[in-house]
Amino acid sequence: MNPFTTRRQALKLLARGAGSATLSPLLGACNPSGRRPAAKTLIISSWPLYIDIDENGSPGTVRRFEDKTGIHVSYREDINDPASFFARIRLPLAMGAQIEQDILVVPNWLASRLIRLGWLEKLPLSSIGNARNLKPWLRHPVWDPSENYSLPWLVGITGIAYNIRETGRELTSVNELFARDLAGRVSFLSEWRDTLGLLMLAEGVDITRPTYADAKPALQRLEQAKTSGLIRAFTGNDYQKDLLVGNLAACVAWAGDVAQLLGENRDLRFVVPSTGGVLTADTMVIPRHSRGRSEAAAWMNFVYEPGNAARIAATTHYISPVEGVAKIFAASPATASLVDDPLMFPTALMNRRLHMLGPFSDPDEEAIERDFARLIAS
Amino acid sequence: MKPLPNLRLSRRSVPQLLIAPGVAFLLFFFVLPILQLLRESWSQPSSRFGLETTLSANPQNYSDAISLAAPLFLRSIAVAGLATAIGLAVGFPMAWWVVRRGGRWKPLLTGLVVTPFFFSYLVRTIAWTTLLADSGPLMQVIRFLSLGHLLNAVGLLEEGRLLNTTTALVAGLTYNYLPFLVLPMIASLGTINPTLLDAAADLGAQTPRIFTKVVFPLALPGLISGGLLTFIPAMGDVVNSQYLGGVNDRMIGSLIADLVLIQQRFTTGAAISILLLLFIALSLWMYRRKFGQASLGGH
Repeated sequence: MNPFTTRRQALKLLARGAGSATLSPLLGACNPSGRRPAAKTLIISSWPLYIDIDENGSPGTVRRFEDKTGIHVSYREDINDPASFFARIRLPLAMGAQIEQDILVVPNWLASRLIRLGWLEKLPLSSIGNARNLKPWLRHPVWDPSENYSLPWLVGITGIAYNIRETGRELTSVNELFARDLAGRVSFLSEWRDTLGLLMLAEGVDITRPTYADAKPALQRLEQAKTSGLIRAFTGNDYQKDLLVGNLAACVAWAGDVAQLLGENRDLRFVVPSTGGVLTADTMVIPRHSRGRSEAAAWMNFVYEPGNAARIAATTHYISPVEGVAKIFAASPATASLVDDPLMFPTALMNRRLHMLGPFSDPDEEAIERDFARLIAS
Repeated sequence: MKPLPNLRLSRRSVPQLLIAPGVAFLLFFFVLPILQLLRESWSQPSSRFGLETTLSANPQNYSDAISLAAPLFLRSIAVAGLATAIGLAVGFPMAWWVVRRGGRWKPLLTGLVVTPFFFSYLVRTIAWTTLLADSGPLMQVIRFLSLGHLLNAVGLLEEGRLLNTTTALVAGLTYNYLPFLVLPMIASLGTINPTLLDAAADLGAQTPRIFTKVVFPLALPGLISGGLLTFIPAMGDVVNSQYLGGVNDRMIGSLIADLVLIQQRFTTGAAISILLLLFIALSLWMYRRKFGQASLGGH
């Protein structure tokens, strides 16, 4: 049985819940009295399928934020692959110039790099009162030791997605991605931390303290698979279309994406491999010289209200970093089942199978990046 | 009162003034960027993510470039060459038909050749992914005709698929660059005086002989120009290789893009670009020496 509630179902549930007192926190952010005049456009760069949108007459988070604050938001789903996104923003940031975005939703490793390079503004935490709702286990992130530069947006699980009609069987392990009968119909993420993390877990490596030597066997395995025609593509977030239309039978994917795609193809499945899945946090950061810091703070404060966080989590099916979301879901029969989804609210058993890839040393990271890029580009 | 200087231009200075804007354009947008590229190819970055580089006599970038690019270089030549050859085979009859049979519709037909350019190159290529998808219309036809095993056996399909294969890559390149091939051929074939063909026929030459002895030599400048306009950009193409090719079909352009845009190794990317430029320039020079300027479309 498929454990997911689809994106469409979730929106329906929440739209229905709009009339329910039990879900009143979800509506707490709305301001029906009218819009304030727009003062500044807040520009956000994020990933596709990573927020609730206006649908079925129910306003999405962006619209509700605009209604409440009068701040116009340009929400761009323009991050497909963080490495290429970094390449886009690197030039102006390295030159000390301002980029147009006020908030970037980037993986924790990229946030860590941007912090080290001094290319971020400190968050105006005094204006983000709701930051106190951050879940305790995310309060002391290794990627942001000073805890001043980032707030998690959502936490995702990297595992295996597959189309049961195409595979003809359930998949449970990473090894099955290398099966001969799936040759040419499998893709891996070009985000090497997720791909290698998953393969390293399959090799029994402790990925919380990884080294180049740990990653080498996984790289070699990929190289062999690529040469022998097993791998169809290395993709960013764009694996979704190929998975939907059946070009891919299986792929390394992010749990929330697959949950959302279920509405369009009921044959899709997501599994955390028996050897473990990779936990990744995407974080909100403010790039250096942003002129929209106060607007960015207003946005962060807004999405950290449990009601708003619940809407985002219900739609995206990722793990919300905000405390209180489970309580809101549980309070309504319409959304109570989401609390039992171990991919949104990992149980103790699931937690034991999830691991966050630790930081590599700088030389190791550079070496792996080179090897992986060479693997993809050659 | 001083006499005004003579502002009349000498006959010799007029052409120089006329070409000055073109020379300035080339200087700023071609020569200077290449000099900058050359400088970068002999530089080392000061830090991993910074922009500063320092000049260095160390040929490290070039040795990296050769080791990284050599296999892709040969593949790029083969793929671009194949796409150009198929383009010539398809484009020549098309151009001949437009010139010889187009009549008063010739301007319209010529316009139709460039119609694909009205749409974004990227969008056109991505549209092909739908056509070639595993459950797309072309694969459905192949399955309906039970041609899958045969096409797999001859290597046109890989693991029973068309998308993300060398076949798809070559087909995409051929399609995208076909107008660049056809237009010079239309221009070239249009200059052939039809009475020459009549004269050859009157002298007893059969159609194949007329083609090889009259049409082909006269059309050669157009063929060469079109071939070069296809082959050179096809070698450095990124889009087709990314969307239509497979993981083992990356070309030299993809490598440069990856080095510059993903790996932040601009200096190595610059070295590969310089080597590619030298290769193309050297090939053209050798060709010109062997066949003369006229074969390249000049006089």
